Amino acid sequence: MDSRLAKEILLRYRPGTTSDPEFAEALEEAKRDPELGRWFAQHQAFHNTIRERFKQLPVPAGLKEEILAGYRPAVIPVWWQQPAFQALAAAAAIVLLSVVAFFWSRPREDRSFAAFQSRVVRNAQRGYVMDITTTNLGEVRQYLATQGAYADYVLPAPLEKLPGDGGAVLRWHNKPVSMVCFDLGNHNDLFLFVASRADLPDAPSTSEPQFTQIGKLTAASWSTGDRTYVLAGPGDEQFVRSYLSP
Amino acid sequence: MAHNDNDSRLATQQDFELLVSRYYSTLYQFAFSLTRNEDDACDLTQQTFYTWARKGHQLRDASKVKTWLFTTLYHEFLEKRRRQVRFPHHELSEVNQDLPSIAPATVNELDSATVLQSLARLDETFQAPVALFYLEEHSYKEIADILGIPLGTVKSRISRGIAQLQQILTRDPWPHAAGRRRHG
Repeated sequence: MDSRLAKEILLRYRPGTTSDPEFAEALEEAKRDPELGRWFAQHQAFHNTIRERFKQLPVPAGLKEEILAGYRPAVIPVWWQQPAFQALAAAAAIVLLSVVAFFWSRPREDRSFAAFQSRVVRNAQRGYVMDITTTNLGEVRQYLATQGAYADYVLPAPLEKLPGDGGAVLRWHNKPVSMVCFDLGNHNDLFLFVASRADLPDAPSTSEPQFTQIGKLTAASWSTGDRTYVLAGPGDEQFVRSYLSP
Repeated sequence: MAHNDNDSRLATQQDFELLVSRYYSTLYQFAFSLTRNEDDACDLTQQTFYTWARKGHQLRDASKVKTWLFTTLYHEFLEKRRRQVRFPHHELSEVNQDLPSIAPATVNELDSATVLQSLARLDETFQAPVALFYLEEHSYKEIADILGIPLGTVKSRISRGIAQLQQILTRDPWPHAAGRRRHG
């Protein structure tokens, strides 16, 4: 290791992190090279001072009290977690699933794209549970891939820049549908649904988005390659469109 | 700094108070290092905890509460800034090979306000990594998670940011001393 590389590594050295091999090697170099050793001693003094000054940055008096005063607890259905309710819920779910399965298996069921779009967008409005909660869109994609859902989706450039909120795998007639949530701030989300074009016979045929209003959300839908996309969010068509093209 | 054992189960006000007590200071310090404005830093800190109150119960990995809070604060900051102004992109420069030495006496004269002012003069891409580095709340990997960039990039930005910080403090440590606003 030469002196220049050792300096670059030692610049980010925090005392106590010697288990990292690159630090161990750079520290050894500082012991061998007197000039580097002198530089490192001065740098450590610099590091300790800047570190102390950061920690001395005063926090405004009353901030903690302000935060606590504004606290509004989330409505969390804690009673769901109790065994009795879980058993009841499981029984109800079985009955419900049986009914749903019966109706879904009927030959005249609605498998149209409009029904699909309405189902997934209304699901986003009614309340949903994300399988994974993370701001990292890469982690969401990875999770979807491990669950056998579609993870090869192509995000429009503006969506790439948004922080994620999480994701989930939905089902549409036993076919997976990937849901990716984006955090717009101010408690608003954008929802992207990705399905196989082959599972949606009358899905949009082009990449030109088509817009429709579903409840309180505006939905844009388009197809690219083997995938069909639905992007739903608050605001009007112009707002949602702003997340589709730079 | 491991305070994470039961954090994911926080739901009551008492638990919320505990979480605030543990992290509000360092979150505020990180927020201030990003905004250099007391009101904005307070708002960011508050907003982060309220987001936690609303969404925190969805977090499954209890060990990631602290990282979740810092990540949320950073994204909230980026979102607010995006609405305000588009910043120019800065190319990363190489670490200066002739790093200046700072005399110990000079270092000792630095106060928090001067250090924060100097941080504000760093290239934008260096500011958050360097602030998180000096706050010493997170490992390099956690810093990478918070900022959403690869580990190698984090290390490089920390080194280059500190080199730049040394240059600023050596060359012109108190450029606005006369009009400097005292914080706190």
